[in-house]
Amino acid sequence: MSRIGVFICHCGENISRTVDVERVAAQVGTLPGVAFSTDYKYMCSDPGQGLLKKAIQEQRLSHVVVAACSPRMHEKTFRKAVESAGLNPFLCEMANIREHCSWVHEDREEATRKAIEIVGMMVERVKKNRVLPTITVPVTKRSLVIGGGIAGIQAALDIADCGHEVVLVEREPSIGGHMAQLSETFPTLDCSQCIMTPKMVDVANHPKIKLYTYAEIEHVEGYIGNFQVTVRKKARSVDEDKCTGCGVCMTKCPQKKIPNTFDRNLGMRPAIYVPFPQAVPNTPVIDRENCTKFKTGKCGVCQKVCGPGAVDYEQEDQLIVEPVGAIVVATGFDLYSIEEKPKGSPIKGYGEFGHGKIPDVIDGMTFERLASASGPTGGKILRPSDGREPKQIVFIQCVGSRAREKGISYCSKICCMYTAKHTMLYHHKVHDGQAYVFFMDARTPGKSYDEFWRRSIEEEEAVYIRGMVSRLYQKGDKIVVMGSDIAVGVQVEIEADMVVLATAVQPQKGADTLAQKLGISYDKYHFYSEAHAKLRPVECATAGIYLAGACQGPKDIPDTVSQASAAAAKVMTLFAKDKLEREPIVAKVREAGCVGCFYCQKVCPYGAVEEKEIRDRQGNLVKVVAYVNPGVCGGCGTCQATCPSKSVELDGYTDEQIVAMIEAL
Amino acid sequence: MTPKKALNYAYYPGCSLHASAGEYDLSTRELFKKLDIGLTEVPDWFCCGATPAHNVDELLSLSLCAKNLELAEQVEGDLAVACAACFSRLKTAQHVLAESDIKRRQVEKAIDAPVPLTSNVKHLLDILARDLGLEQLEQAVTKPLAGLKVACYYGCLLTRPTDVPNLDCVEAPTIMEDILKAAGAETVAWSHRMECCGANFTLSRPGVVIQLSHAILDSAKEAGADCIMVACPLCHGNLDIRQKEIEGVYNTEYAMPVFYITQLVGLATGLGADKLGLDALIVNPMPLLKEKGLV
Ligand code: SF4
Ligand code: SF4
Repeated sequence: MSRIGVFICHCGENISRTVDVERVAAQVGTLPGVAFSTDYKYMCSDPGQGLLKKAIQEQRLSHVVVAACSPRMHEKTFRKAVESAGLNPFLCEMANIREHCSWVHEDREEATRKAIEIVGMMVERVKKNRVLPTITVPVTKRSLVIGGGIAGIQAALDIADCGHEVVLVEREPSIGGHMAQLSETFPTLDCSQCIMTPKMVDVANHPKIKLYTYAEIEHVEGYIGNFQVTVRKKARSVDEDKCTGCGVCMTKCPQKKIPNTFDRNLGMRPAIYVPFPQAVPNTPVIDRENCTKFKTGKCGVCQKVCGPGAVDYEQEDQLIVEPVGAIVVATGFDLYSIEEKPKGSPIKGYGEFGHGKIPDVIDGMTFERLASASGPTGGKILRPSDGREPKQIVFIQCVGSRAREKGISYCSKICCMYTAKHTMLYHHKVHDGQAYVFFMDARTPGKSYDEFWRRSIEEEEAVYIRGMVSRLYQKGDKIVVMGSDIAVGVQVEIEADMVVLATAVQPQKGADTLAQKLGISYDKYHFYSEAHAKLRPVECATAGIYLAGACQGPKDIPDTVSQASAAAAKVMTLFAKDKLEREPIVAKVREAGCVGCFYCQKVCPYGAVEEKEIRDRQGNLVKVVAYVNPGVCGGCGTCQATCPSKSVELDGYTDEQIVAMIEAL
Repeated sequence: MTPKKALNYAYYPGCSLHASAGEYDLSTRELFKKLDIGLTEVPDWFCCGATPAHNVDELLSLSLCAKNLELAEQVEGDLAVACAACFSRLKTAQHVLAESDIKRRQVEKAIDAPVPLTSNVKHLLDILARDLGLEQLEQAVTKPLAGLKVACYYGCLLTRPTDVPNLDCVEAPTIMEDILKAAGAETVAWSHRMECCGANFTLSRPGVVIQLSHAILDSAKEAGADCIMVACPLCHGNLDIRQKEIEGVYNTEYAMPVFYITQLVGLATGLGADKLGLDALIVNPMPLLKEKGLV
């Protein structure tokens, strides 16, 4: 016979205002199996918990029901208290009489009756609770960081500085990401390269960081604490150990006319190249698609001129398996392009802006390259079409962002600030030039941000026009920008020499494929989803995988760096223990009943269901059944709801428990 | 070759085609006859309300369109519409009524009949380019419009409003250019393909029309066009009828003939000037057509 203790919380007045807590306590005290019931002002407080512990010992309670707020809030608190009093924590349940009762009702009589029913249900349920042992799994104290932009770099450095090994995987031939492309950064206008390149060097030299550039994630297996990651190291055609980075190969390569993507196609590069002079590692890579040797078999110049003999045309992709305990995803962003969109893409192009056909209509990142001292023009603002200095320049914000009809409804967050910065950079370099900005509204929340934006108007005299641009067209060597000034209610037309579009921030291409490999979820725009928007902003719902930077949503540098450090801190928390304790709320398969349909495997969002062979004593295969890996199971219960033969059940949420609750009603 | 399927349509000319744009009506009927496409005029059709009605009373404008759609049910075939404004209104009404149950019930009460929500409303452009098809069209061409540089003008109504299922890409349509290329003409790339000409402000605010239409004519000329092609009687009115006046106000000369699509395609299929109503155009197209050896 169970001896259940019921504790009714007043929650200050939150509950007791509408629920007669004393009556609830008295009433449930008469239920069969209840040995003790009481009410208290703040159950979660120290004296409240003391009361609970004391009652467990004095009354020799076997189960506990705390009727209070949502279990999301305090289930852990009370289970811990129960545990310290010597009971298994999973013999304690919460009845939610705040969010589910007092907050949503006004009538005291009705609310009280409902509270009694809710508590009664939990009393019946708790009788069926089983003792659940905490699950422990070992932890591999190494981590993987995917993406070598500022987010990945920061996370990798933070983890490595704590003494844990890090494997950093970057898709491009060099780390640095978008930040390495930027000119100056807001709101302090310090040069991006100056603050970025030292960090890049730190990563390369760090004894605890293993750096794979020009590499991609091929395959991920395992679960928190125990992932096996296969990395595809693409053939660079240059031996990293032999190459001294002298660069002779690049100067001698006869192919010189390949658009430089790092410079947003403004400059040219050879077929053997490093993306930019400060690249880390400073080892060139052969772009096999454009290399004459790979296309026709002739040439081979780079191999001949390379002193140390590092060029290797035979090199092949390598697959390397890395065991890690945690993964930080920091794959960053890409910019929406106004080019015509491929058929079937949910995001439409900007036909009215010429589908990107006008050469002097560029995007924000291209402007960054023009303004950057290391860029194709040496930091001079010049038109791509004829190299003239633009005297009238128009910036258009929210291109693609906040445009539901284009398929993106979110705000890209960084454009107000970088456009303000662009107007400043422009004015600093073209003193007699005039900058116009078409904007919907200025969103500049951030330390020193609004001041920065004001400065662009007050000191740099950028003209801000509130309104959208309907279209642009080329007229002679000018670009006519037709828009409206909704503050004054007039149509405006500006003849500009150059137009800069602040295009929407989007996740990197292939973000969805990577998410599927990792088993993490993403939103409709393919930004990765955090476990909880407010309380678990850097964790994925999949345990052991953390997010940093713009892969989770548009972010500026300060936010990205903060989140990267937060993700690193989460990894370190995980690594602080040798064994990982996990809640035992996981699914279990009753093998006798399982018919091996594997519907559960199809629906499990965590990929926790595996196949298990059942053999008889002679070793003959009897059947294949489902097996839930407790390390991976997220305890969502989807499998339980799906299983046609009722053979898989979530511990702590068994059918028996649910039926008991319903019957108590 | 696949055997030709018989094409037959219910024809909704709209008021303009029975009045100021008689040549659009004439050339449409002649061209379709030539192309073996059946057109049967919807009996008892009436004005769709065009631009004024929906500015005054939504229920009225929806009901006018709904009633016309209902009348069109009597004739077999999809509904063929020549005027861009009628087309836009009929499509919009269908879309709005399909989205809103409440409005649909109000309208059905007003017209005392169910609204055909799924019947196909097609602009002539759609019929030529897709139902007949560019290949068939090309085969019907006997006198290609070689050497004629045409500025295809969509105006504001052919592909708008943007949230209604549309004839072609809302921002960068190519359907007119596709048809003209099939007819052997050259099309120019120009900036004001989709700007508004001022539409029916031509009577109430002529100043607006003169300014807007001037920009359109100017841009077509700058792009090196010999003529403009339209698929809407309102556009035609502003660009053709008002052209002299615009020239006077801005002290320039365009002498830019403005054709209906059916007139140009008609020419290409070998129809004579008399069957296309070319003499009804205000800016005389004959010198241009003679120069290019097209008449
Ligand atoms: S546990 Fe259920 S759903 Fe999963 S394989 Fe077995 S029978 Fe199918
Ligand atoms: S409860 Fe079932 S579906 Fe949910 S994570 Fe665990 S195994 Fe997968």
